[in-house]
Amino acid sequence: MAEKVKKRKESTIAHSRYGCAIGAAYTVAAINGAVPISHASPGCVDKQYALIGSGYQGCGNGAGGDTPSVNFGENEVVFGGVKKLDAEIQSALKIVKGDLFVVLSGCSAGLIGDDVPSVVKKYQNQGYNIVHADVPGFKGNNLYGHEVVVKAIIDQFVGDYRGKKRKKLINVWTGVPYYNSNWRGDYIELKRILEGAGFDVNILFGPQSGGIEEWKTIPKAAFNLLVSPWVGLDIVKHLEEKYNQPYLHIPVLPVGEEATTEFLRKVVDFAGIDNTKAEKFIAKEAKEYYSFIEHFAKFFSEYWFGIPSRFATVADTTYGIAYTKFLADQIGFIPIKVIITDNPPEKYRESINDLFHHLSEGVSVDVEYIEDGYNIEQSLVNTDFGSSIPLILGTAWEGDAARAKKALLIQVSTPIENEVILNRSFIGYKGALTLIERVFTKAVGG
Amino acid sequence: MGKKTINLSMSECNNREMRIGSIISWDGKASELVEASNYEQRSRHEKKHGCNGGGGKACQLCELNMPFSQQTMCANAIVACQIGNLTDCILIEHAPIGCSANNIKYNISFNIGLARRGKAPQTVNILNTNLLENDMVFGASDKLRRTIDDAYNRYHPKAIFISMSCSTAIIGEDIDSIADEKEAEIGIPVVPLHCEGFRSKHWSTGFDISQHGVARQIVNKNPVKQKDLINIVALWGTDYFTDLLKPLGLRVNYLLDMASYDELHQASEAVATATFCHTLGSYLATALEEHYDVPQVNAPQPYGIPATDEWLRAIAKIVGKEEITEKYIESEHKRIQPKIDELREKLKGLKGAVFTGSAYAHGLICVLRELGIEVQGSIVFHHDPVYDSGQDRQNSLKYLVDNYGDVEYFTVSKTQPFQVYNILQRMETDFIIIRHGGLAPVAAKLGVPSLPMGDEHFPLGYDGIIRLGNVILDIVARHKFDDVLSRHTTLGYTDWWLSQKDPFILAHNPDIINEPIHELNGGKYDG
Repeated sequence: MAEKVKKRKESTIAHSRYGCAIGAAYTVAAINGAVPISHASPGCVDKQYALIGSGYQGCGNGAGGDTPSVNFGENEVVFGGVKKLDAEIQSALKIVKGDLFVVLSGCSAGLIGDDVPSVVKKYQNQGYNIVHADVPGFKGNNLYGHEVVVKAIIDQFVGDYRGKKRKKLINVWTGVPYYNSNWRGDYIELKRILEGAGFDVNILFGPQSGGIEEWKTIPKAAFNLLVSPWVGLDIVKHLEEKYNQPYLHIPVLPVGEEATTEFLRKVVDFAGIDNTKAEKFIAKEAKEYYSFIEHFAKFFSEYWFGIPSRFATVADTTYGIAYTKFLADQIGFIPIKVIITDNPPEKYRESINDLFHHLSEGVSVDVEYIEDGYNIEQSLVNTDFGSSIPLILGTAWEGDAARAKKALLIQVSTPIENEVILNRSFIGYKGALTLIERVFTKAVGG
Repeated sequence: MGKKTINLSMSECNNREMRIGSIISWDGKASELVEASNYEQRSRHEKKHGCNGGGGKACQLCELNMPFSQQTMCANAIVACQIGNLTDCILIEHAPIGCSANNIKYNISFNIGLARRGKAPQTVNILNTNLLENDMVFGASDKLRRTIDDAYNRYHPKAIFISMSCSTAIIGEDIDSIADEKEAEIGIPVVPLHCEGFRSKHWSTGFDISQHGVARQIVNKNPVKQKDLINIVALWGTDYFTDLLKPLGLRVNYLLDMASYDELHQASEAVATATFCHTLGSYLATALEEHYDVPQVNAPQPYGIPATDEWLRAIAKIVGKEEITEKYIESEHKRIQPKIDELREKLKGLKGAVFTGSAYAHGLICVLRELGIEVQGSIVFHHDPVYDSGQDRQNSLKYLVDNYGDVEYFTVSKTQPFQVYNILQRMETDFIIIRHGGLAPVAAKLGVPSLPMGDEHFPLGYDGIIRLGNVILDIVARHKFDDVLSRHTTLGYTDWWLSQKDPFILAHNPDIINEPIHELNGGKYDG
């Protein structure tokens, strides 16, 4: 444990690695057919797009430049923004194609006290699929906003349900869309392996989701599967209360055959379904996986121009633990520094520390929680990487530190500025191979 | 020196819409907008009632009032991309963290810009005070003081700027007093910038605010003239101005992006100020002229051959290099003409459209037409009926219309993708030139490729015509991608909207919004 030294309060943040609550517009945009409406100043959602959509992910209809926005002016700040919001919603419903509209109110609306729910209620009463989420930036970051928006959609759109549950149907909650830059690939891999193991999967976000029709079936699922260290716990607890729906919390995204197989067995066991299909699937996947690993071993064991060993991770909790664990447990790289940047609430930090203290047998690393880029860079620069080539799994902001340490920098966490991300995943069976490719391509000079 | 229009004794600068009557929503022919703008009368700051009236404060051009809008940039973001891209000064964003979310974007532009200007790479250092709910209730002045100390102790900057956000403006943070207090304490300029996003209807006010702060607190108040120095107000463009101005014996002082404190400081010592875009440069150029006797170049922007000639001649006159400049112009004409002729042949029959910032679009259309490319339409993100300078030869839209003819479909619209469909339906174009986000993806889905003009200086001067002609050949080839896209994707708008011919129908006929659209949307059939 770090010594408790009384020092001046820290509040400055340089090189921000998360956005604010209204960044949850991208949670909405990740649902097929859902359209965010920003009840905020100009600039608000535009700025979030720059960060949360980093890695040049682009976006579909309704997001990016398309997002309907009230674009507060002085007039709205002085006289209130509800009149303009009303006109915005009315015209958005005529102009923008959508199955579900989500009004997100920002700082200006919050501070002047706009009564947004009553405007939205008017359109709900007319039969439109529209909900409201209060997400001013001063209330929290985009991870907080993500949970608020999901709960708003569940409460105001999915609604009450008292019917039967379907034994094989599960809701999957995992990384935050767009913010976890590989989300589309991750969601595809998670859905693929869970279906392979015999489940029907509500993946809820991304290209493989059934959009709002799928969201309507959330209450019918046998349980919620949360694959994330802490983001989403609020959601699954809310669902437990609302629909009497249990949840299985697996804090670490599985990377590689051993972790993924263990993951699937845990889920099958929790569900209490027959494991024949799952085991068959696992056997097939494992065979394929190790064929690649066997080939890779020829390179890994005899490449004599140097590959990294000691590495530092600077990332959000979700990707930070997943990749650190894989490299430590399955490759034998040595984690010497972990900096978690997404400001997890205090109550979750002990369990996060625990994950990093049990990365693999005999492998443990302490966690530093830092949000300010300046302090992150100081900490990195003071890290001893030994005699191998230093490796940093980080963000675009680690460029200076990487240059100072002559380190290989792979941008895996938001913001990412030197990778163009489409269908990419570093998790599961297939994603682990891609992660190996990415790390070692970098190591051989790619 | 005449009456000063720019008041540097105030920390705030007036919004563009109040100062020069800028608008963000208009549709018609370019010639009609020239007439309605009434540049000349406005430039004399005569008071007159009515729409076409002179530059009285509240007098506005008639503007279309749309009930619907999509997200745009804000003035606070512009300040980040201006002041945040100085090499040895620090910008503090006094705001919740979300206001700094775009810093990464400006880190990319900064480093590309540094490379273009031959400067060493460096990471953008913008600090955020990270305001939370408690700060909204109890105030955040101490956090700001702390971050100013952090900025000073960490980076030892030459100056510190503070930008206001929507939330700090609403809760009434007194950044002026804190700036004064800290400036006295640490002994470097601390500059407050009143750029909250809701403040102006157009983000370009953010340029003015940034320049206001620089002119007021950074520029040398006791200048010693540097007879070979010319200010160019620019963004991140490649350094083509040096070559263009070398025959006149001038060194270029680029303002503001990628500039150092010293480069800003010496702005008052230059012999003249020019720019690649009056939308961007006019405020600072006018401030330097009125307060430091640095003349601005009263000429069209240097796009196309005749405008570049005139621009060079105007500078030559200021620095007394007329003779050598005439020879230079003559030799440049000879050098480029064969290349332009060749390009005109290759580009024959092509049509293009320009969707960019205001004065810049005027210049780009000149260059396209110089290359023989037909331009039927344009979207500009706002329109300034007059620039701060009020100089007659800077009336860039009039210059375009007078010298290259009218633009049939001239639209003023602040990056509204939903209108791009209707706008492209009424014109023919093989490609669009764009800046800012949101518009090109719509065009792409309609099979129209785009040239994102990230290097602002690319089309300027004599060689710019050739550069632009060549790159357009590359861009039109990309319709292959857009054709694939158009075959397999759809636009995110209702059939009702896509059936509208008029992109401003909701302003021209406000009642139409109450009529049913006869289709299913938002889970309800509206019939």
